[in-house]
Amino acid sequence: MTISKPLFCLLALLTLVHLPLSAQSDSAKIITSSRMIGVGGTNILDTYLSAEHFKGVGISFVATVERKRPQRRWSTLMEHEANLSYVHDRANSRKELEGAYNFYWGKFYNWSLFDHRLTLQAGALGNATLGFIYNTSNSNNPAQARFHLNIMPTGIASYKFTLFHKPMMVRYELNLPLAGVMFSPNYGQSYYEIFNRGNYDHNVVFTTFVTAPEWRQMLTLDANLTGKWTLRIGYLGNYQQYKVNQLKQHVYTHRFLIGFTRRFSLIPHRL
Amino acid sequence: MKKIINIVTIVTIVLIVPVVFSSCVDEEQRTDTPAGNFEALWHIIDEHYCFFDYKQHEYGLDWQEVYHKYKVRVNDHMTETQLFEVLCDMLAELRDGHVNLSSSYDYGRYWTWQEAYPKNYSDSLERKYLGTDYKISSGIRYKVLDDNIGYIRYESFTNPIGEGNLDDVLAYFALCQGIIIDIRNNGGGDLTNAEKLAARFVQEKTLVGYMQHKTGKGHQDFSGMEPQYLEPSSNIRWHKPVCVLTNRSVFSAANEFTSMMHALPNVKIVGDHTGGGSGMPMSSSLPNGWSVRFSACPMYDKDKQQTEFGIDPDYNVQLTDEDTKKGIDTIIEAARKLLTE
Repeated sequence: MTISKPLFCLLALLTLVHLPLSAQSDSAKIITSSRMIGVGGTNILDTYLSAEHFKGVGISFVATVERKRPQRRWSTLMEHEANLSYVHDRANSRKELEGAYNFYWGKFYNWSLFDHRLTLQAGALGNATLGFIYNTSNSNNPAQARFHLNIMPTGIASYKFTLFHKPMMVRYELNLPLAGVMFSPNYGQSYYEIFNRGNYDHNVVFTTFVTAPEWRQMLTLDANLTGKWTLRIGYLGNYQQYKVNQLKQHVYTHRFLIGFTRRFSLIPHRL
Repeated sequence: MKKIINIVTIVTIVLIVPVVFSSCVDEEQRTDTPAGNFEALWHIIDEHYCFFDYKQHEYGLDWQEVYHKYKVRVNDHMTETQLFEVLCDMLAELRDGHVNLSSSYDYGRYWTWQEAYPKNYSDSLERKYLGTDYKISSGIRYKVLDDNIGYIRYESFTNPIGEGNLDDVLAYFALCQGIIIDIRNNGGGDLTNAEKLAARFVQEKTLVGYMQHKTGKGHQDFSGMEPQYLEPSSNIRWHKPVCVLTNRSVFSAANEFTSMMHALPNVKIVGDHTGGGSGMPMSSSLPNGWSVRFSACPMYDKDKQQTEFGIDPDYNVQLTDEDTKKGIDTIIEAARKLLTE
């Protein structure tokens, strides 16, 4: 008996129940999903807009989804990170507004050690960053557009333990730069030339870990509160930086995170 | 145990190698002192300003010499006002209306290009010519003069115009034998407004100039000159003669409009030399928060000539005291005569 694809999807959604791991079959896909918000400092330098550093505060929303089958070595990780910052120069007279959406997707090879208490993961994430920096004082160069596609070798270590009779897990993720491609105006090129006149000049730039040494780290602690919900707190540091076309840019964000994690399995049904 | 050591070693190598080759991307932050702000300003201009070679050729500008000349005037005991004055004096060496220093209490500028010359414009005369029955279409005021000449007054390209506005204005002038576009005192604004207006007077894709930008910190680091074409508007276009009225206060985008119109066959430029300002400006800021604006992207006319110091009119006409006393705008009358000949 066959089943139509839409119906299968519906049935799959209906089976999104939070089952204990022991109840999962070998073919069940374990999904760990988290939603967090973060608040913290932002430090911005963009020499296209100003030679000055701008510092301030920002907020972020971070969502992660990890998929893995129990008997498989490979897992998939997807992360969304959106942030908004309002920063000022050291004289507190010039302001900048920064916003960005970062999407990460990648595959990881998993090792389980010490009776599954320690898990090591190694792999790579593909990263797409889309954002802007808006300087409220500048006239003809008021904003900088940000677009970067990037491959990031990544390592993750997770350790499960028990504290106060509660199962907990500490997790550390480190994303490092390798190579990518990004948009940038040339050193003194105006956006008028690019978008009104179509005068392109090295506006698509290939990057490496030398020209775009950006990296990112996230340390979290999961504390299981109930059977369904796990509290997650942590720190996310995203250090995006480029030096292309003789322009320099860095956007360092530090966020203290709080949110929830849910773990459930998706069991395919065959009729 | 050996397996664990191998895993940890591999993971460590994969993660550590990029870190070894990576470093912080940063820029030297100068101190927020008079000397630090002086250094910051001098270097911003040194690395970004686009007319050093041209101005060295024109009047002997030597930016390194300027550094030594003004460095001795800066010390850590001077007041903020004194520092502002010294920095503005230094920037005035560039003789550029697009170079400004902005603080909360003053706007440093070089306006000699207009202040040292006759105005060649009178708002009393403008009021007399426009009367009270003129029409307003967005940023344009317009009317038909007695001798069936259409008169457009566009005093700032910061005032937006839409294609519908221009259709209405040109349709209103349909039976006129010529148009006067009076941009005297137009200090510039949005270049796209200037292009939108100019596109109504070109019948085919026409080369009107060139543009380039800096590609590095060196005074000679420039991109190639990119030709700039004016595409004819797909809406109502004007085929009959046009006179553009200019004075020394025509600057920046208005200077570029004059350059574009100068390249067109049916157009005559009447009035005084324009003020110039052919470098598209950009901005930066100093440690103390003052904002600096400077010319960054030079634009040239269709013959690759600089228009930074203005454009000569086809007919140099000056407003005379005698005519002014009679309520006559000498420049408008010269244009009317050219259009009715």
